[in-house]
Amino acid sequence: MVTPAFGRQMRDEHFLFAKSYVPLNHGSYGAFPAAVRTYQRSLQDQTEARSDAFIRFKAPSLLLESRTAIAGLLQVPRQTVVFVPNATTGVNTVLRNLTWNEGDVIVYLSTAYGACEKTIVHVCEITPATSVRIDALFPIEDDELVDTFRLTVQNIAAQQGKHVKIAMFDTVCTFPGVRLPWEALVKACKAEDGAHGIGHIDLSDLGQIDPDFFTSNCYKWLFTPRPCAIFYVPTRHHHLIRTTYPTSHGFRPLQEQQAATSASSDNDYLGELFKWAATVDMSPYLCTLEALKFRSNVCGGEAAIRNYCFDFAQQGGKRMAQLLETEVMDNKNATLSQCCFAVVRLPLRFASDTVSTTYGFTDRRSEATRGGVEYNQQLLPPERGPEFVKTIMDKLRDEYDTWIPMKFYSGAIWFRISAQVYLDMADLEWAAGVLSKLCKELPGSASGS
Amino acid sequence: MDEICNIKSISCGTEAAKYFALQEGYRNLNHGSFGTYPTPVRSVLRNYQDRAEATPDAFIRYEYPERLDESRAAIAKYLHAPIESCVFVPNATTGINTVLRNLVYEPDDVIIYFATIYGACEKTVSYIVETTPAEARKVPCMYPVSDDDLCDAFEDAVRDLKVNDKNPKIAIFDTIVALPGVLAPFERLTQLCKQYDVLSCIDGAHGVGHIPLNLSELGPDFFVSNCHKWLHVPRGCAVFYVPERNQHLMRSTLPTSHGFVPTDGGAINNPLPPTSKSDFVNSFEFVGTLDNSPFLCVPDALEWRSKVTWNDKQGEEAIFAYNLHLARRSGQIVSGILGTEVLENKQGTLGDCNFANVRLPLSFKDLAESDPAKAARIGQWIVKTLVADYQTFIAMVFYDESWWMRLSSSVYLTEHDFEWAGQVLKDVCDRVRKEEWKENESATKL
Repeated sequence: MVTPAFGRQMRDEHFLFAKSYVPLNHGSYGAFPAAVRTYQRSLQDQTEARSDAFIRFKAPSLLLESRTAIAGLLQVPRQTVVFVPNATTGVNTVLRNLTWNEGDVIVYLSTAYGACEKTIVHVCEITPATSVRIDALFPIEDDELVDTFRLTVQNIAAQQGKHVKIAMFDTVCTFPGVRLPWEALVKACKAEDGAHGIGHIDLSDLGQIDPDFFTSNCYKWLFTPRPCAIFYVPTRHHHLIRTTYPTSHGFRPLQEQQAATSASSDNDYLGELFKWAATVDMSPYLCTLEALKFRSNVCGGEAAIRNYCFDFAQQGGKRMAQLLETEVMDNKNATLSQCCFAVVRLPLRFASDTVSTTYGFTDRRSEATRGGVEYNQQLLPPERGPEFVKTIMDKLRDEYDTWIPMKFYSGAIWFRISAQVYLDMADLEWAAGVLSKLCKELPGSASGS
Repeated sequence: MDEICNIKSISCGTEAAKYFALQEGYRNLNHGSFGTYPTPVRSVLRNYQDRAEATPDAFIRYEYPERLDESRAAIAKYLHAPIESCVFVPNATTGINTVLRNLVYEPDDVIIYFATIYGACEKTVSYIVETTPAEARKVPCMYPVSDDDLCDAFEDAVRDLKVNDKNPKIAIFDTIVALPGVLAPFERLTQLCKQYDVLSCIDGAHGVGHIPLNLSELGPDFFVSNCHKWLHVPRGCAVFYVPERNQHLMRSTLPTSHGFVPTDGGAINNPLPPTSKSDFVNSFEFVGTLDNSPFLCVPDALEWRSKVTWNDKQGEEAIFAYNLHLARRSGQIVSGILGTEVLENKQGTLGDCNFANVRLPLSFKDLAESDPAKAARIGQWIVKTLVADYQTFIAMVFYDESWWMRLSSSVYLTEHDFEWAGQVLKDVCDRVRKEEWKENESATKL
């Protein structure tokens, strides 16, 4: 097999970005190649050509093929996996289908995606459920995180009348962009938000790890168009998922359901339920095969992509940290960085007495600055952290035609780079140069006003 | 954008047909189910999608919200509603689900709906009844019922509930019923709801672009309508109208997303730029990552429609008049060929829309042995055969022991299409009588 040309060449030949745009944030909205767009548009054209014929009679079999392809990738039975528009819908589908009683507790991590946390808050507003949020400060060792989690669950269970009904956590979290020991967490308990999962990390053991529920955005890392996510529910829990969101034709009222199960061998319950969840453009779901084909034929397959991206994230993160004279966020066992993100600190020092020393964070930072060139002599006020983030991000967009998410976190500004097959080191070196310049220009920094 | 500006005028019928991407030889006689949109609007759609891929974050986070507000302004103006009350959702079913799931139900609360409710909405009511204290009351109605009788049945139901110490909390009803496709007296029903202090939730899936609507005058509590059905906007796009007085009832979108404001106002990470919009409007701007490009196409769809002409009419007036006229004619033509009739009440109000429901000359007793399951099989065979052998689709409903074909008019159709349809249906009925439907499904080249 020919070694695929990753990097700028891949970008120019296969992807749809504006020439001047530097796509460093694949993690938010994903991207898909021209070949997939062409295929998607042909599906859409077929839909407009003969809408009823296509939607009613052809799309269902294409959908089945797509589910089969995804099931193969995840090595799970097809009956356990369906498509939903996005991970947020997947999470909502689980949380809102469950019946909540007094004493039920939802446990989640502080890294939960905002919309998912809000879903939990709303569920607790309208049902007897309550929630417990585990504050995790990164970088953290896998063992510590899993232990904290176990302890929290045990503490809750020890309380009269309380028990943890479900726990929600990421495979790779949005911010900071780090890999979580989700397999170990699953072992310790029950449910999963894998928004950054499919196509990003190796999920071929999903069947073996066997979470109770799993959802992941295909448009983020699998090169399908937006919106497209998979929703995995092992057969043993199918009875818990009564309805799609919104409820649609696949729903069967209880009486009907009971009558049906005795009469038929309903071996695609989930598939039938999710086959039609109100009128939407289903073409993204139907692009799965095409996306997988591209990844295989042009990129050399899942492992090749993963290896390139992981390696790029690692090397790229290190390179940027070197150029900026800061550091990459990682734990001692270097497990956090086992993904396609690199999280790097901006060279801005903030006066901070709130930085936790639990994880040796302060030590590492002073190590990095020792003997190096400081971009600002005086310590910046931490209250201005978010403002600096906004200033820098706005400039990146307005003046440099790129976008890098960053956040004031734990006493410093950390930015997240998404590795992808269409990037190469020159892109990151350029970005480091730009970031360095923007830091210097900030009001309050040494060379700024 | 440029393309539409340059269009001088488009006459209904064969000229308008040139603007659509319908397959040569395929007759879409079922515009009502999924709608379709003209190719200039497709260009607009694809342009937005291309921009989203060219600079994803820049477009999605910054440009999209501005275009969205322009689109909201356009649809609000079109519906004579305040912009603050209008947001977009992917489809009417999502809108109905959003309303029903956000309400808080106490024991004795009742959801009222008609027997002709859209299937997915009835299922939503079922689910609510299963999982909350709410009960449901289904108002029977059999077409061709008169508007008076329908409204009386509704009023009787409301009164009956109150007399029995139940609280009719919300009523769901259509502007235009889906199957059979008939116009409902929704204005009167809305007034009755106000009179009896029942929340009115109008499923106007077939509404915007189909019949003239003035939401300020109508004054419903909740209203949703698919723009992708009759407004020539791409799928999926529906307008969800909630007057400001009711917005506090809509705590969460479906699914819950970044715009949700916890009751304690707690700060939860929101990656989106800050906003000065109301909580309601902000909530619906991003509801999980979707491709919301269809939402952005309303202004251009409206502009394309403004170029449409028929006789001496132009724009919306032309479209409404042409579709109505063609629907009536289609019913006359097809029922004439089949020797049957159009579903209509004595006052002639049901057909005041873009549908004509024509009965097939087939006997339920003789052909299906009065067995509903067999009737269903016959129906399924009919629609599959229409696609496979005749390159067309017509929506069908087995209703009141007869098979009815719901014809949809559209600006790209003419009377010739329905003359053809009449002959085709005649042919299909012959084949049903010959019991072709009993044979195994033919290998259909779909």
